[in-house]
Amino acid sequence: MQTQPEAPADPARERAARSAAFGLLLEVDPGIEIPGISDVDATGVGGLDIPAPGSLISPPAAQPPTRVRLDPRELARRWNRAEHTSKRVRELRDGEAVLLSVELAPRAGYLLYAPGFGRILIAPDGAELICEPEPGCSQWTALLTAQALPLTATLRGFEVLHASGVVLQGRAALFAGPPGAGKSSLAAALLRRGAALLSDDTVALEPHSGGLIAHPGAALLQLRAAEHNRLSAGERAILGPPETFLDKQRYSPSVSASPAPFGELFLLERSTHGPPIERIEAVDPFALLASTFNLSVRTPERLTRHLDLAVTLAATERIYRLRVQPGMDATQLAEIVHERLLEL
Amino acid sequence: MADKRADTQIMPQLSDQELLDARARLPQHVVHRSFVAETVVLNLRTGKYHGLNPTAGKMLEALAAAPTAGATVPELAREYGVEPAKVESDLIVLCQGLLERGLIEMVDADPA
Repeated sequence: MQTQPEAPADPARERAARSAAFGLLLEVDPGIEIPGISDVDATGVGGLDIPAPGSLISPPAAQPPTRVRLDPRELARRWNRAEHTSKRVRELRDGEAVLLSVELAPRAGYLLYAPGFGRILIAPDGAELICEPEPGCSQWTALLTAQALPLTATLRGFEVLHASGVVLQGRAALFAGPPGAGKSSLAAALLRRGAALLSDDTVALEPHSGGLIAHPGAALLQLRAAEHNRLSAGERAILGPPETFLDKQRYSPSVSASPAPFGELFLLERSTHGPPIERIEAVDPFALLASTFNLSVRTPERLTRHLDLAVTLAATERIYRLRVQPGMDATQLAEIVHERLLEL
Repeated sequence: MADKRADTQIMPQLSDQELLDARARLPQHVVHRSFVAETVVLNLRTGKYHGLNPTAGKMLEALAAAPTAGATVPELAREYGVEPAKVESDLIVLCQGLLERGLIEMVDADPA
């Protein structure tokens, strides 16, 4: 019987480093260093063994790795061939300026473009990310960690919340809310109280045994200048030295070594009245649906999964309203949340 | 495998009585999930989510299980303690709203 010839070895792939983030097992080509995402050794993802059927990390173990590589020529070749079938599925603007666009061409995948950072083409099944940084941009990998990897996680079957999260007492506490509500500041303040960072801004969730598992993202946390200036010496020591990223300060604290079962979701809102924290008896499903990070992937399977995630979250009955009242800073808020988490 | 649903005639514009005599069904591109205070109906073709209050959510469930829309009236009237005529008029308004949004189809009632 004739057998298929073996595919030629790919030297770059052989030298690729393995990493884990957002529930994905990543194979990152040499030449790409992604801040906040560190290598895992050959036998572990986030400190847990692979493969481990039924373990918290079964999806990444069950799926082939997602390869991340630099190859502008290949990106251009694939996209040029498919561009005539593409449509814009998302656009983020600041006035007239486009900050981010996402285009979908069914055969080529999702093309993310952030002027000043570069382009990333994500294969339709999330198995490969081809990157084209803009020349001279040293922080282009922010497009990977902030946008491309969370979108890839969605393609791989995870649901990604627009939330910050920490792990405390073995459970994931997530913080969702509008921009500027204080999600990152609250996470930073909880680190000082012994929590481990799960993720800043995007948290990948997956159903597991009737509940949910939250996966660590990148070990990065961004604070606005005003919040940075308010940090105590102790908080700065935990967060480590910052670097300037756009109009924020970016830190690289250590991230939780492993996924954690979902604990609580706190919906932050600015408010002048009402108790600072209260459990929501009948959660508004549209508030949960709106907390989703990724609006670009709109296949029937994904839309159904999105709705099912809202059902699962609501069924936990562990969703809280967290009112940020005038004059209340992140340290005070963290104290309230910490006390509640210890009571649960 | 053939789609048996294709054998059923989808009815065009209906009068109120015709609507009550027809069977409501959810198209394959529509899914719905119940929450404590709301039912969310998702149209997978348009990607749009629609919210129904608990009463409308209950009506939708009843409609999907009943041989005709009108057959749901007695049970709903009993459950909510209101006149059947009131349930009937609310049901017609709901069905028309769901039809307009492509969230249900009205088909011939089962011969049985």
